[in-house]
Amino acid sequence: MSRFCLIILLLSPLTVVGQEDGVKLSISFTDEPIAKVIPMIEEQTDYQFFYAEDWLGSDTISGDFIGVNILEVLDHIFGKTDIQYHFGPNRKIYLIRNQIIYNELPDGFFGRTPDSSGSNVEIPSRNEVNPIFLNLEKVNRASKVKTIRIGKANQNRRDELLKLQGYARAGTTGEPITDLAIFIKGGRGGVVTNEKGYYEIRLPYGKNSVLTKSLGFKDTENIIVMFNDGRYDFVLEENVEQLEEVVVEGLARTNVEDATTGANQILSEETKNIPLVLGERDVLKVATTLPGITTAGEGAAGFNVRGGNTDQNLILLDGAVIYNPTHFFGIFQALNPFAVKDAVIYKGNIPARFGGRLSSVFDITTEDGNTSALSAEASIGPVTSNVVVETPVIKDKASFLLGARGTYSDWILRSLDDESLRNSEASFYDFIAKYTHKLDGNNTLSGTAYYSRDNFSITSDSLFGFGNRMVSLRWDRRINEKTKGQLIFSNSQYDFEIEFDGNSNEDFDLGYTINETEAKLNFVHIPNDKHTLNYGLSSKLYLVDPGRRNPLNNESTVTPLEIPREKGLESAIYISDNFKVNDKLLIDAGVRFSIFSALGPSTQRIYEEGQPRSEGTLIEEREFDRNDFITTYGGPEFRLAARYLLAPDLSIKASFNNTFQYIHTLSNTTTVSPIDTWKLSDLNIEPAQGYQYSIGVYKNLQEDMYELSLEGYYKTTTNVLDFKTGAELLLNEEIETEILQGEGEAYGIEVLMRKNRGKLNGWLGYTYSRSFLRFDSPFREERINDGDFFPSNFDRPHDLSLVANYKLTRRFSLSTNFVYQTGRPITFPVGSFNFNNSEFVFFSNRNEFRIPDYYRLDIGLNIEGNHKIKKFAHSFWTISVYNVLGRNNPYSVFFLTDNGEVKALQSSIFAIPIPSITYNFKF
Amino acid sequence: MDVGTTIGSIKKGCWVFMSAIIANSCVEEFEPETEIFESALIVEATITNEEKRQQVLVSRTFRLEEDGPTPESSAVVRITDDQQGNYAFEEVEPGTYLSTEPFRALPGRAYELTVETSDGRTYGSRASSLTPESEILDLYASVGENSNGQEGIGIFLDNRPLGTDARFFRFEYEETYKIIAPRWVAVDAVVVRDRPRPPIVILEPKTEEQRVCYNTVPSNTIILSDTEDSSQDGLTRFPVRFIRKDNFIISHRYSILVKQFVQSRDAFAFYETLDEFSSQTESLFSQVQPGFLEGNIFSLENESEKVLGFFQVSSVTTRRLFFDYEDFFPGEPLPPYESDCSEEFTPNLLPDGPDGPSPLVQAINALGQKYVEATGDENSPYILVTRACGDCTALGSNVVPEFWEE
Repeated sequence: MSRFCLIILLLSPLTVVGQEDGVKLSISFTDEPIAKVIPMIEEQTDYQFFYAEDWLGSDTISGDFIGVNILEVLDHIFGKTDIQYHFGPNRKIYLIRNQIIYNELPDGFFGRTPDSSGSNVEIPSRNEVNPIFLNLEKVNRASKVKTIRIGKANQNRRDELLKLQGYARAGTTGEPITDLAIFIKGGRGGVVTNEKGYYEIRLPYGKNSVLTKSLGFKDTENIIVMFNDGRYDFVLEENVEQLEEVVVEGLARTNVEDATTGANQILSEETKNIPLVLGERDVLKVATTLPGITTAGEGAAGFNVRGGNTDQNLILLDGAVIYNPTHFFGIFQALNPFAVKDAVIYKGNIPARFGGRLSSVFDITTEDGNTSALSAEASIGPVTSNVVVETPVIKDKASFLLGARGTYSDWILRSLDDESLRNSEASFYDFIAKYTHKLDGNNTLSGTAYYSRDNFSITSDSLFGFGNRMVSLRWDRRINEKTKGQLIFSNSQYDFEIEFDGNSNEDFDLGYTINETEAKLNFVHIPNDKHTLNYGLSSKLYLVDPGRRNPLNNESTVTPLEIPREKGLESAIYISDNFKVNDKLLIDAGVRFSIFSALGPSTQRIYEEGQPRSEGTLIEEREFDRNDFITTYGGPEFRLAARYLLAPDLSIKASFNNTFQYIHTLSNTTTVSPIDTWKLSDLNIEPAQGYQYSIGVYKNLQEDMYELSLEGYYKTTTNVLDFKTGAELLLNEEIETEILQGEGEAYGIEVLMRKNRGKLNGWLGYTYSRSFLRFDSPFREERINDGDFFPSNFDRPHDLSLVANYKLTRRFSLSTNFVYQTGRPITFPVGSFNFNNSEFVFFSNRNEFRIPDYYRLDIGLNIEGNHKIKKFAHSFWTISVYNVLGRNNPYSVFFLTDNGEVKALQSSIFAIPIPSITYNFKF
Repeated sequence: MDVGTTIGSIKKGCWVFMSAIIANSCVEEFEPETEIFESALIVEATITNEEKRQQVLVSRTFRLEEDGPTPESSAVVRITDDQQGNYAFEEVEPGTYLSTEPFRALPGRAYELTVETSDGRTYGSRASSLTPESEILDLYASVGENSNGQEGIGIFLDNRPLGTDARFFRFEYEETYKIIAPRWVAVDAVVVRDRPRPPIVILEPKTEEQRVCYNTVPSNTIILSDTEDSSQDGLTRFPVRFIRKDNFIISHRYSILVKQFVQSRDAFAFYETLDEFSSQTESLFSQVQPGFLEGNIFSLENESEKVLGFFQVSSVTTRRLFFDYEDFFPGEPLPPYESDCSEEFTPNLLPDGPDGPSPLVQAINALGQKYVEATGDENSPYILVTRACGDCTALGSNVVPEFWEE
């Protein structure tokens, strides 16, 4: 019997005979499947059954009837199943699953039926509810939508909301899927599976179109026909073929439902359509298109998050800190885009498990290697090439991923005509390796190693290099049904060195290193549906070699100099609870207690209290022995957030958090430079502190196709660092005499509109924000701008970003970026003066002026290779033009004295349109 | 070369590299305009241990688009010391004040400067005392290349502290070079009559020296060095000046007087920052944060008034060096002259129109072009060249400097 049969049946006018009477039979069966019983009945009578065999199931049944009405037998057989029988003409019995076949068509079946027609149809129900004609729709709409029937039709429950419950499991692993959103298409209600994958949802009687959505799993749409309360388990396929839209999202409703303010997720794969300079895919650059995240200028390294300095961002790669995630002074990111899975950015309420920086956390996770087959992904661009290879080590259990990336700029330089350029060297590269091993269902081990390096030799007499290296080891363990734990060990290092080899007797090499080692234990405990606890502790040891200088050769008269190593221990203990007070109110309250100790051996200089620090006010040099506690700072950090749902797709959130930062960059440049150094807090330099209050409204529209958010924040910071004008920072043994510590204030409003699906997708962000600093002191040499607040170097009030992607066909898509920003503040001359027979400029107060506004439009065309299934590799072309308008955006304005006269110059990084083409492929 | 400069040149290099790759990054010059002008007092005062009329320069800032300087006249300038010494100054030309009596700074005394401007405001300096002495052991020139690989003559200096603690140095120099006008002839074309027409131009013997001149130019860059990072007490082979081989100033005989000022740490830092702010071209990717540069001179009435100035008491040593082009590049062609002297002009005597000026008269009187030879053509009788080619006084003075040694 095929379904087709039934359809015909339902479409043809039915002349359904009512209850059959009279036919009696005797039959006996013991533990027989229904499928065997039916032929026995057919044998004894002239009835013919029509059904699909798989409906009958494997349940067995026993019975012993002598001379009873066939109805009695059928009732006995099908009474406990979801099968209904119906007598057709010519002694046919139709078996139908959970469906009462009506002998009349309902009202409205052929459109509106005039009331006056005086229906004499008896519909055996109280309400005029449309009965369920399942397959009717199927004829009209061929789709892969699965139909699931729950219970048997029961007319008594028509006006009730029925309960459906069950679990969601991953198809391949059978693991529960947590946080799977289950909701009715077009409806308002929706639920999310809990940590065990369990859900419960109320659905109206009858046909419901139920959608599921989750990160990492294919979205599904099922027709669930509710006849009764019941159970259904979702088994979902992992989403192997990634989404091709530019979507910056986690769960569809995270925007609305999470308690965290100011959090964004960027999936690396989804950034591939965004046109970027020189065709380089760059998660970090994409981050700057989000509200609240800016850079000091085009190609500048470092981010300013909500008016915070560039050193206030914690950039983590698989849990370990990366100090400088850029190559080439910030033009390129130092992360292999194919190895990066996603970046979650916390710029508002930072979860309690993170700490140590004031402004934000960039939590970057790498991909796990492919455990089933060898695969690779590569790209070839105009300046760099990337490759990632993944291979299973133990099938379905362990995998290895290796990524490499490099530039061929050396080759470009060598092929140039200019002699000085031909002898130059400029190269950068990075490697990443990750091993993941699933020991058993409860334990997973993984390790990541990362290395990046930049080398430049531009003038014939100097060589400059900088690089990161990082290793992290992680053990994930499911302790029991309710508790998961993680143990992470990591070590990160950043260093740079400069070699100067001129012709005089002053040749030297110089270096700086920072190294940190951290152990972190993190637990997630879910005692019940209302609470999710996250607690743990971490401890981190810093070793900083603030600078060393050595003569390069025997002729050099440079004295070796080594600024003594700094050592510090930063530890923290934290707990937070995600508490679902009721359906509407969710509170995420956390506290982190952090403590930092500067450790010996060290010589600390003590200055007169209440006097500017200088050689003149030095009282003593105090010696500390190895591992002596020089000084200890610390305190509680509160991470409080709450969300209140006004409607399922509308919420308001508020948060407060405070943070400590015990490590500071020393930089006397207006933008980040690779020779900026990090310094630990000590007796003279106090830790910086930040306080942030934020509030926001979040709304999703049209089944989460559109996301809107509006967030405001107010932030204050204390003990942020700046420097006396013209301070010499590198190799300075008395650096504290150059340091000023002041306060900061920032506030802003961020609007983000995002379209997640459809041919056209992308986002539009606008931020109005201000950021000010103040350095006041009773002593004039410790003041900036007379001790008044002044705009910081990254105070850019208006910031508008549009990222859009339009899918022309399956293979072609167009994408575009548009950025507009107020020009950053600069210190401009307010006059010239003569000195030393030359003309010089006389500078205004700090940051009194601005460079012209910045705007830029980029366009990209993405071409997917054809979709033949058997093709060896999947290819992808990106053709893009950066700065289509050719806008000459000034990067900086500066003044130099040339031959005794002042010259004003302005520089820009990418002043004309830059086309590029990148070829990507994977298999 | 100190660390800062090295880093600077690294950044500059990167810049070049980026330009090479993407061939479109750019640095352009623009006309700056002072959006808000702030008038501030500028004081440059270095008194030395030389017995002389000491000098203090007082000026004010001027608008970026203007040519300075704006001298501050009629100020009362005075230096006092902690042993009741009182040295009055008088204005010898606008903004330039010289001590009325010659004096020399003595070691162990603390000197202070006060300036009272004509509007009644008073300014004072922090106390300064004489820096330790250092002697110039040697000043010498040798052929070499600069950091861009260009050939030329480097002028180097070795010094040695007398006593201890002379670690910070600033150098000034005054270079004097002999100029020989390459197209000089003994006669001049002189306009006797312009109107009525025809104009009359005759040849007359030159009445002044126009063949050999001398020009003296002071340095205008900040030259600093220190021995703080060095294992040696003094500087060895410190490059004071580099002159490219094609610079005409070394064509014949060249002399440089190097003045070495021993500086205090504060004064050194002040000059270093001044220099850093004015050579920012090298720090494109990360610009040094500029700001108001504080010296050691302050307003005595208004704490927030910006004053830029430095008062220092420096020990000074000088040394002079002479050399000829022939000493280093024997038999090689001279560097190109300052002007292109192969370019010759033969202006017409008579004007094009009835009332127009005579091109020849114009060339001689307005442009100062110099006669080299006659053409024999009455309409354009003389061949002329650019003034400097026939008259060296266009570039220097024809008086032999007192110190000059052949």
